[in-house]
Amino acid sequence: MEILQYTVRKLISGIPLVLGVTLISFLLMVYFGPDKTYELLGKNPTAQEIAEVRTQLGYDQPFLVRYVDYLRELVTLEFGNSDSTGEDVASLLARTIPISLALTGPGFVLGNLLGVLLALFAAFYRSTWVDKAIMASAVVGMSISFLIVIIAFQIIFASSYGLGWFPVRGWSVHSFGDYLSYVAVPTMAMVFVALGYNTRFYRSVLVEEMTRDHVRTARAFGVPPAKLFYKNILKNSMIPIITRVVFSIPLVIISGSLLIESYFGIPGVGKITYDAIISGDQPVLKAVVGLTAILFVLAQLLTDILYRAVDPRISLK
Amino acid sequence: MQADTQPLLSVRDLVIEFTTENGVVRAADGISFDVHENETLGIVGESGCGKTVTGLSILGLIPSPPGRVAGGSIRFMGRELVGLPDSEMRNIRGRDISMIFQEPMTALNPVFTVGNQMTDVLRRHRGLTRRQARDAAIEMLAKVGIPVPAKRIDEYPHQLSGGMRQRVMIAMALSCDPKLLIADEPTTALDVTTQAQVLEQIAGLQSEFKMAVVLITHDLGIVAETCRRAIVMYCGRIVENAAIERLFEAPRHPYAKGLLESIPRLRRERLDELPIIPGRVPNLLHLPPGCRFAARCPRADALCREQSPALVPAGPHGDFIACHHPHPGQQAEPAA
Repeated sequence: MEILQYTVRKLISGIPLVLGVTLISFLLMVYFGPDKTYELLGKNPTAQEIAEVRTQLGYDQPFLVRYVDYLRELVTLEFGNSDSTGEDVASLLARTIPISLALTGPGFVLGNLLGVLLALFAAFYRSTWVDKAIMASAVVGMSISFLIVIIAFQIIFASSYGLGWFPVRGWSVHSFGDYLSYVAVPTMAMVFVALGYNTRFYRSVLVEEMTRDHVRTARAFGVPPAKLFYKNILKNSMIPIITRVVFSIPLVIISGSLLIESYFGIPGVGKITYDAIISGDQPVLKAVVGLTAILFVLAQLLTDILYRAVDPRISLK
Repeated sequence: MQADTQPLLSVRDLVIEFTTENGVVRAADGISFDVHENETLGIVGESGCGKTVTGLSILGLIPSPPGRVAGGSIRFMGRELVGLPDSEMRNIRGRDISMIFQEPMTALNPVFTVGNQMTDVLRRHRGLTRRQARDAAIEMLAKVGIPVPAKRIDEYPHQLSGGMRQRVMIAMALSCDPKLLIADEPTTALDVTTQAQVLEQIAGLQSEFKMAVVLITHDLGIVAETCRRAIVMYCGRIVENAAIERLFEAPRHPYAKGLLESIPRLRRERLDELPIIPGRVPNLLHLPPGCRFAARCPRADALCREQSPALVPAGPHGDFIACHHPHPGQQAEPAA
């Protein structure tokens, strides 16, 4: 019950946040974003024609009215049709979001798991050559541009110049085998890029926890290493880990897939966002921007609830 | 050293080194002492003198890296602990030898209940079931004077006061009936009245459980009240090891004497200035070749500056001293 009350309270307190984010992004879109008027008009339009088109588009309405319209769209999930393809935006999202999740999910999970694993080795053998080798590779991995990694991996694993094991681009998935072959190279690229950051982050978190007094106490009472790890170190380092993992979920879904999807020609939400930015497709942009803001608020709520689950010192008030 | 009985713990020529960016530092150098059954031994000295690492080394808890036991021997009940594999050491930790720490605020795991942490120790070392361990833990909490232990056991450390947490630590440390308790500044973080209660508790439990205690502290007052014998450490070395009454009435090492004189206390006449030991503790990285206290010592001469004094027996009662020119002491015996 406490959790439920807390959730409702947090959701309510997330409303101003969503309003703020959407207000600013809507402001930017309306005053600095693309203007469809002239695309719809012929050459040398008269002032009356311009005014008519603007009325059709709703551009003549006061800002506040347009903003409230936008909010209503967000709540009802009815964003109208895409300017470029004419497809209903809601069904467009319903088609592309699962693809993006399927695409980025494995890379995200693997990147974090491997990061924790390597960090654990580095932390356990800290200041020995194992630690130094892992940390040096992490810096090397971090320093290579994502674009280079994508292109290099495409050449190495997918092209006829390299191993040619996987398709270079596209997403014609009809079976689980297809899925694996299309997701393999993007996943490797994502893991390669994220691993350095993740390992460094998790190592510092683990090392900090390992040197705490309560870990020494536990050792003084004969706690064996495996138990020491999950009971004293892991559970106590969950707060920074949860924060990082949960907060990167919205980023991974929307922005993380942006580059990957455009380079691999995968029709996910990142790809349509990218196209919408290029072509000035306002209905799609409004939907993606608004939903991202909501996703962040939900992520924050989730972290707060998880904090309470791992640390009794945090109260749900 | 005392020849009558086999000591419970016998430390010989212990050397503990830490690797730092500026070189290797000897945090403890040539430490030797015995602890007998049922005895309370005090280890006194300023911060950084090596008393805490000495305590930690007994349980093999020197943080490594950067530290390590570089030499010497620690024998407990006839068994060599230096170089013992971690798996065997774990059976000793918390069962035969327990340790309590200075900071009760941070020494317990904040995300588990007191009961969870206590029953863990009991189940591991005494093989009790969950139910039995819980009952035993409640009983221990009651023994260390925690009111309503059946309720407190399900609380988290942050819900308890500092004194209460230290009592929980003590209860946990004594729950497996150890032969030796190492108490590292157990009352330093507590206020004075709680201090007295906790010390009394330790003393009371010591006679009930028949265990030996090594009490590490910088507070000479605590040593005077609780210990039979004390070791004074300076800069990684033992300078004097004497029975409490002799140490307090007639300290022989000039450092021990200086330390005692610098205790603020009620005096008949008002002093203009509290006596202090002039100078500073030398840097462990740049130790003088001779006696480490020579630069601050009123009795030092050329010999002291050149040659480091060894820890040698002094008098018939098992005392030891490391000084070329000690104070005469009670019986005015010459230094051996």
